Amino acid sequence: MKNQIKRAIPKQIRRSALFLMLSLTASICLSASNEVVDNKYCTTCHGSDGRGNEAIQAPILAGMEDWYLVRQLENYRGNIRGFHPSDERGIAMQAMAKNLSDEDIIDLVQWIKTWEYSPPDTTVTGDKTEGEKLYASCAACHGENADGNETLGAPPLAYQNDWYLVTQLKNFLNGYRGTHESDTFGQQMVAMARPLKDDSGIRNVVAYITSLRSK
Amino acid sequence: MKSHVKRREFLNLLAAFGGTGAALTAGATLNLLPSASRANSLSLSSPNPNKKSVVILGGGLSGLTVAHELTKKGYECSILEASHRCGGRIFTVRHGDLIDEIGNPQVCDFDDEPHMYFNAGAARIPSSHKNILKYCKELGVDLEVFINENKSAYVQDDKMLSGSRIRNIDFTTNMRGFMAELMAKALTHEELNQPFSDSEAESLLSSIRSFGDLKENDLYEGSFRAGYKSGGFLKHGVQKDMIAFRDLLKSRLGRQLLSANEGDTGPILMQPVGGMDKIISGFLSQVGDRVKYRAVVNSVEVLDSGVKVTYDHDGARHSLDADYCFNCIPTHLMVGITNNFPDEYKTAMKYVRRGDAYKAAFQAKSRFWEDQEIYGGISWSDSPSRQIWYPSHGIHKPKGILLGAYDYGGGIFHTKMSQNDRIEAHLSDAEKLHPDFRSNVEKPITVAWHRMNHMLGCSARWQRSFSAGWTHEEEKLYETLRAPVNNRHFFIGDQISMHSAWQESAVMSAQWALTTMDAQVRHEMA
Ligand SMILES: Cc1cc2nc3c(=O)[nH]c(=O)nc-3n(C[C@H](O)[C@H](O)[C@H](O)COP(=O)(O)OP(=O)(O)OC[C@H]3O[C@@H](n4cnc5c(N)ncnc54)[C@H](O)[C@@H]3O)c2cc1C
Ligand code: HEC
Ligand code: HEC
Repeated sequence: MKNQIKRAIPKQIRRSALFLMLSLTASICLSASNEVVDNKYCTTCHGSDGRGNEAIQAPILAGMEDWYLVRQLENYRGNIRGFHPSDERGIAMQAMAKNLSDEDIIDLVQWIKTWEYSPPDTTVTGDKTEGEKLYASCAACHGENADGNETLGAPPLAYQNDWYLVTQLKNFLNGYRGTHESDTFGQQMVAMARPLKDDSGIRNVVAYITSLRSK
Repeated sequence: MKSHVKRREFLNLLAAFGGTGAALTAGATLNLLPSASRANSLSLSSPNPNKKSVVILGGGLSGLTVAHELTKKGYECSILEASHRCGGRIFTVRHGDLIDEIGNPQVCDFDDEPHMYFNAGAARIPSSHKNILKYCKELGVDLEVFINENKSAYVQDDKMLSGSRIRNIDFTTNMRGFMAELMAKALTHEELNQPFSDSEAESLLSSIRSFGDLKENDLYEGSFRAGYKSGGFLKHGVQKDMIAFRDLLKSRLGRQLLSANEGDTGPILMQPVGGMDKIISGFLSQVGDRVKYRAVVNSVEVLDSGVKVTYDHDGARHSLDADYCFNCIPTHLMVGITNNFPDEYKTAMKYVRRGDAYKAAFQAKSRFWEDQEIYGGISWSDSPSRQIWYPSHGIHKPKGILLGAYDYGGGIFHTKMSQNDRIEAHLSDAEKLHPDFRSNVEKPITVAWHRMNHMLGCSARWQRSFSAGWTHEEEKLYETLRAPVNNRHFFIGDQISMHSAWQESAVMSAQWALTTMDAQVRHEMA
């Protein structure tokens, strides 16, 4: 995410890129209706410019690496994420992705890239010192500053909504995520989440991760 | 002993009743009982000439109410509406209409005729909802009676009578008969009779007997109220057999069946002729030129002197400054829209949850229910689809639109299904009420409010526990959101009421906000 911000296109160009995107993206005109429907409904849940919405539990998308976005959208579409009957949030997102074509996904990711990242509020409190110890085992993949590692397929964490990191770690522990046979990346995380054990472990590590944001 | 405990409870009840009774007598003598009040009449002042601009976020009923009232007074209003239509949860679906469910857009293919519509959101207006009725009158919206309870409609429960359907009248007549018999027995018992004077006891007993149609011996032995088994017009009527109390008790539908005609859903209910959105058309005839459609609010910044709003429209971002802002965007969506509201507002916005009501409808190829003595009203079942509504309008026309499912509590069950699975579920549920339902219907639509774009839910839920009622904390959060931000920004909508899910609440919240703003304007002008 950090890289993304550095790479950020100047605002003016970004805006005109947005116009372009909007006109290029496939939109379906359903027969018999004059109304146009497109796939640009992400912000209803993910908030203005994809800044996240805690009330919907839909996380920040702005600034997220494109390779990670593509993989997650494919995972939802393929029922690799959001398949567990108790995973309310995952199911909500799964239904949003299930009809997307490959081209739609590319278009959407281009659109998401035009959004400016801004750091979210901190909502999770925990013991950062304990968290730092726990994070030692995470750094190998997610990086010392939690800014991700594309080669290993591990996403940045520091810039994400803290409440979302908490749910995802719980999802890995509860078998909502990372249990599908095709979810090779998610499977790695299941084993990694185990040492966090419980709520307090999760909160501590998340509190530490989001404190890396400023670094 | 079981019966003893029950008698004890009854006695307690009577004791409590004695207290209330005394109060009522006193109240009536002193003429303190509230008389039917009128609709609110707003007397807003003219705007301060330098502070006339108003931006309204969301073209829901409350937003349009504000726009209408302020435009009348000379304010300059702009309405930003994210959707392709105004009305939000007032949504009448007709031929060619888009149902903008995220991930499952549908286009309605009903026959193109005035009576072939479906009220997918609001559908009923109680006679006690004076403020919305006042606008219907003012805006020339014709109303007709809406039939809610229909004793000829069916009741079906897999757990009752081997799952066979019975008429509502059979259920309720027998249920009331047995309940009355129990009450009469209890009252004739010496110790229960004691708190009442002879004439009171007599009056109560005669009401109980009439409630259940009891015989002289205070026993329920069936009733002609349920209709006749045979005869009744040219020959003597033959009474229907009783249904055993135990059989009726197998079903839990009694709860709903005995209260369907009470409270907000009690008669007289009304609907606009031609669809609930005639109310929206009425408002738009006044302020339609003020609306910008597909204008998605992106940020709201409350300033000392006004409000700055940015929104996306036609592929570009726009900015708009106004002196006042009224906002009916659902609070849980507002959480994700960039804003500078004080923290306590953010906390309150996050607290409010949303119901997930769900409705589905079919076009009926013929009005087959009318051949079964059913004209309007609701059939009830214990299946997940819960209800079938028969249209109160278009009687005896060739076709009609049927509501095929209404889950007002836990609509997520159907929401999670694919469109095909939803429809199949409703068809097979409906076959229990009408065995030939499937072959009689076509062109289904589903409206899963939890997934409707720019809405994502039904009514606001302020209470974590309905049984416990509002907690003190919840009342405080509510008061926070109700209060204007910096006297510039006002939240409105049925979400800012203690009785959400009604149009009346949306209107009254708008009126409340307008009155609050007006006080401020008068203060500034003075
Ligand atoms: C299934 C169902 C049944 C109901 N039954 C009845 C009934 O029988 N009788 C009755 O009186 N009431 C009923 N109601 C309740 C009634 O419909 C609502 O109380 C009323 O319509 C709410 O109006 P509102 O002003 O709060 O706005 P809403 O209808 O909540 O409108 C909000 C508006 O904000 C817009 N918006 C959202 N996000 C943005 C954005 N970012 N930018 C711009 N605009 C945005 C939306 O598109 C929408 O138009 C029912 C509701 C439902 C869903
Ligand atoms: C109905 C609300 C809703 C809509 C609309 C929606 N999302 Fe989501 N999205 C969610 C929720 C809730 C989650 C969290 C799911 C979970 O906990 O697994 C999520 C998760 C995601 C994730 C995973 C992020 C991560 O870090 O793992 C991506 C990517 C995503 N959404 C992209 C999109 C895109 C692109 C769109 C538009 C096409 C979209 N979403 C529309 C609700 C929504
Ligand atoms: C072996 C490498 C590896 C290690 C070690 C590791 N992770 Fe991960 N992590 C991943 C991969 C790969 C993913 C992406 C999974 C996917 O694509 O669904 C991931 C995803 C996540 C996510 C989900 C992020 C999102 O936006 O959805 C969280 C949260 C997370 N890891 C936290 C941790 C924490 C905390 C630790 C240490 C306790 C840790 N990880 C250790 C590889 C690792």
